[in-house]
Amino acid sequence: MAKIRVIFENGDPERVIEFDPAKAPFHHDGRPGSILDVLLGHNIHLEHACGGNCACTTCHVIVKQGGRQLSEATEQEEDMLDRAPGLTPTSRLGCQAVVEDPNAEITIVVPRYTINLASESAEE
Amino acid sequence: MAETSNRASSRPTRSAVVERVFDHNDDTRSLFLAPADGSKIRFIPGQFISIAIPLPDEVRTRPYTIASPAGRDGPFEICFNRVPGGRGAAWLFDRKQGDVIDFTGPYGTFTMESVPASETIFIAEATAIAPIRPMLHRTLASSGHPEMTLLYAAPSSDHLLYRAEFEAFAAGDRTFRFEPAVIPGPETYDRLLAEAQRRWVSADANRTRHFYICGVGKGVSALRDLLRGAGYERRAVHYEQW
Repeated sequence: MAKIRVIFENGDPERVIEFDPAKAPFHHDGRPGSILDVLLGHNIHLEHACGGNCACTTCHVIVKQGGRQLSEATEQEEDMLDRAPGLTPTSRLGCQAVVEDPNAEITIVVPRYTINLASESAEE
Repeated sequence: MAETSNRASSRPTRSAVVERVFDHNDDTRSLFLAPADGSKIRFIPGQFISIAIPLPDEVRTRPYTIASPAGRDGPFEICFNRVPGGRGAAWLFDRKQGDVIDFTGPYGTFTMESVPASETIFIAEATAIAPIRPMLHRTLASSGHPEMTLLYAAPSSDHLLYRAEFEAFAAGDRTFRFEPAVIPGPETYDRLLAEAQRRWVSADANRTRHFYICGVGKGVSALRDLLRGAGYERRAVHYEQW
């Protein structure tokens, strides 16, 4: 079984998921077996404004442990991450990073902020 | 919009009323949406909204690019086409004037935040013109904007959306070239790649151009790779792959 430990920068309680990557997809958004797919399939919310289609950076996570047990980032993912606030050398998009090792032990941090280029506040 | 633990975004949900429906052709439609609270949506050219699609078994969220120019009063426009098996587009095609749609956003990183200082090339196919159109409006409205070319491909002339508008732009502004091309679907990216190679890679050593590319599938990344491989700066080659 693989394991993902999820730490929320906003102070929400930490969560740990154990799952079998071979049973992916767990949900319908993001690449099957991706961090987003796994979290949503286990009732853990992760922002994904574009529906998990690698068109925004709202599912940005920071991988603290187990980065090599994830699929490699594509150039498209790297380009997208370039625009993510709080980018770190181990940042990934949750919708693109697929858990490949059946015994993976991964720890991620969900940042407090995600990108929102234009204010959502309405203009009167 | 249902508040569930699996919602796509915790951002504030807004509602918009379908003010007008416009069919570009038999499989491409625009909805003109007016925020229900009377406000105006603020966005950067290229951004999308996330629409909550209430399906019988759950609520799904799907992105739809804003196709209208930024900063205008009145309703904003989303443009989309039928997708085989696409439940989101099917639901949107069923919307009628007066219906209410819930959305969050705008979002997105394929944006034009400022007008480029050097020659700018836009490449799009069919409905993927949606994010490019507000970028063009923004650029053309700025004084002293650079030379621009829009290379726009579609499988039929009916699918060249906003054609009259782009032709009018080109007629009124010598620095803007509009180049529509009807290309059968499977050949689209081979032709676009060949054109990009000939005109912006092989023809000269100028590598100061900016590119904004939007389309469907791996042809978009092939264009990106061609241009970056030829020496254009990574951040000068903007793209969105649907």
